[in-house]
Amino acid sequence: MELSESVQKGLQYLADPVHFDLKTFTAFTEVAFQSLISSRSECGLDDPQLKDIDQTILKHCHIATTTFILESVKQNADKSAISSCLEDSFDTDRIDVFYSSYQHHKRTLENLLESIGRSPPHITDVLWRLDYCIKNSHVHKVNQPSYLISLHVENDDSGGPPKEVNFNCTMEQLQDLVGKMKDAAKSLEKATQS
Amino acid sequence: MSARFRLGMSLAQACQDLGYKGEIGYQTFLYSNEPEIRSLLMFLVEKLPRESAETSDQPAGKSVLLQKAIADQIKAQLAVPWLPPTCRLPIQCKTQSRGPCHRFSSQPLSVPYSLKVPQNKQSKEVTEYYRDFLPAATAQPSQPISVPASLLELHASELSAAQEWESEWNSQGLLSRLTPEEYRSRKRSRLQRRIEEQLRAAAQPRPDAQGAQRSTSDLAELLQSFGGASAGGDILTKGTRFTHTEKFTFTQEPEKSVQQMAAAASSLPSSRQSEEDLRVQQQEEIAALQQQLHQLAVQMEEVGGDIRHLTTSINQMSEELKELEKSNTENEELVRVKKQTIDLLPDGENNLEKLQNLVEASVMRLDNLKAQWEKHKAPLLEEQRRLKELCSNQEVESTRMLAEIKELHDKIRQSAEEAKKKEALYKQLLTEYEKLPKDVSRSAYTMRILEIVGNIKKQKEEITKILSDTKELQKEINSLTGKLDRTFAVTDELVFKDAKKDESVRKSYKYLAALHENCTQLIQTIEDTGTIMREIRDLEEQIETENSKKTITNLEKILEDYKAIRQENATLAAKIKEA
Repeated sequence: MELSESVQKGLQYLADPVHFDLKTFTAFTEVAFQSLISSRSECGLDDPQLKDIDQTILKHCHIATTTFILESVKQNADKSAISSCLEDSFDTDRIDVFYSSYQHHKRTLENLLESIGRSPPHITDVLWRLDYCIKNSHVHKVNQPSYLISLHVENDDSGGPPKEVNFNCTMEQLQDLVGKMKDAAKSLEKATQS
Repeated sequence: MSARFRLGMSLAQACQDLGYKGEIGYQTFLYSNEPEIRSLLMFLVEKLPRESAETSDQPAGKSVLLQKAIADQIKAQLAVPWLPPTCRLPIQCKTQSRGPCHRFSSQPLSVPYSLKVPQNKQSKEVTEYYRDFLPAATAQPSQPISVPASLLELHASELSAAQEWESEWNSQGLLSRLTPEEYRSRKRSRLQRRIEEQLRAAAQPRPDAQGAQRSTSDLAELLQSFGGASAGGDILTKGTRFTHTEKFTFTQEPEKSVQQMAAAASSLPSSRQSEEDLRVQQQEEIAALQQQLHQLAVQMEEVGGDIRHLTTSINQMSEELKELEKSNTENEELVRVKKQTIDLLPDGENNLEKLQNLVEASVMRLDNLKAQWEKHKAPLLEEQRRLKELCSNQEVESTRMLAEIKELHDKIRQSAEEAKKKEALYKQLLTEYEKLPKDVSRSAYTMRILEIVGNIKKQKEEITKILSDTKELQKEINSLTGKLDRTFAVTDELVFKDAKKDESVRKSYKYLAALHENCTQLIQTIEDTGTIMREIRDLEEQIETENSKKTITNLEKILEDYKAIRQENATLAAKIKEA
């Protein structure tokens, strides 16, 4: 895990017993995790336990810690990775304190990071109808089947009621669609075996 | 047909080139049989490049590990059945629907530290702002959901900037032999100069356009601010054009504003008049003002021209003045010398002699000084040469050291990369080792091995049993034959002795001999039958193998091919004849 100079500097402040003793360190880590998780836009840096610390350093440490937490969650860091990052400046007590709260909040933070981005809607059901066109107003003899497909999708973005995707296709198009879906399923299977 | 034959030949040749030991030719491909093709294919498969064996030794990269992790995740998710939304437990919601999603929207964060200015050099106001007013980073974005995105983006940008600086410093900065700060400042000033040049080129004033005045003054201000930021801002004082225009705009703006204020004030009381009057008045006013503006602009141009004129004339004047002063001092000098000569004239002889003496003394002194100079000059020159040499030596040394430093840098990076790779490999192997099933114990394998060994032993015992049986039988046969021979010899003797005396015995002797003969014949026949049987069995086996080679069909094929070739030949001959 690579950390920028300013983040390392902030973590060094945090490790320094002159600025943070173990108790304020614990309180501060909790505040940092909470400020990432909570949806309210307050940060909790006005915690009474953190009153005595220089606010500039406190804010710097806050940015460094939150960045470090997010990077660790992003990289799915385990204990060895985290301690190898921190052990230069942190003593083992602090690493343990940090790691225990990290484990406690990891799931929530993962959800938070997962919620960034977009995903296509899930198909949950399908209805279809086969029409056979004998002739139309332009052509006397058509004699072609056509399919009306209606996909029921579950849209996660809005969380609203399930929607439908309707389309009409010829037999070749439907075969193409089915073939592509089979291909997709097969490649998914293949991906699990590699 | 001939094409097939040629293809078969070339295939056989290719196989032989690969190093196939067995018998091979066109017949192997045209009239194939199972075992030959089998051995050939086995040989070819062995010759195939073994990719998998090579890759398994290589340390798996990050991407491979990631792919493995992804594969595991997909496998786990595929194992979970789909459930309708209403039946989902919270734990299944995770994998089957992701919940509300947001775009990756980051906002710039303001941070309580500066990467460029060291902490003790920050101004008091800035530190105060950092301490008292700057909100915490997570409170800065307008929406809480963009907090992680903003933090990650900030970190990524800092990292990439540091990396870029590192690579630039290693590639160019080290060679320039400057400290990082000097290098930075030099680069900054270079950039500024280039921007200034570009802006200057773009800001050539267009006298006809009205907006030009304004934009050039803007640019002038911009340039001025650049000058203020950089240490070498004196370049700008040369740009008289800009400073002039700037001066004009600055001096005129207050005037203009005063006029506008006055106009506004005069228009205030008349607000009670009717709309029509007001509009007319306003239009008049606007016209008047525009005229005024125009006049002012014209005036300004004129004044600017005058000023330029005057400045040049001032310059000229001062030059002239300097020249005049110079000639003045020269003349004064001349006058002084002449005055002295005139003073010396009355006592001419004496003074001439004195002067002569003076001149001689001066010459002597000059010689003396020259000699002294020569004396001094030699060691100084020597010193200079030595120092120069030293300097060049040092230069060489420093380049060497620089190269060494670069090499060391490279080595450090390489070692770090290698260490990382090794660590990753170790981790991967560890996880693989953990993944391996532990329940397959040694005992099972040993049991199986022991079983196999036991089986082999049993088979061996049986074989030895059969062998000993055969041997025993052989022995028995031998002993029986011996016994028979002996008994026959004894009987023969006895009967032969008696046969001389008795006629009937002689007859019986004859019978005995015939019996013996017949029995031997019988035995011989039986043995022959055995060998024949064996031969038959061998032949049957041979027939079977030959049958498996599909000889008949192959022969048929060969016959057909032969016919085809003949036909081809015939047609070719016919063609030749026709031609």
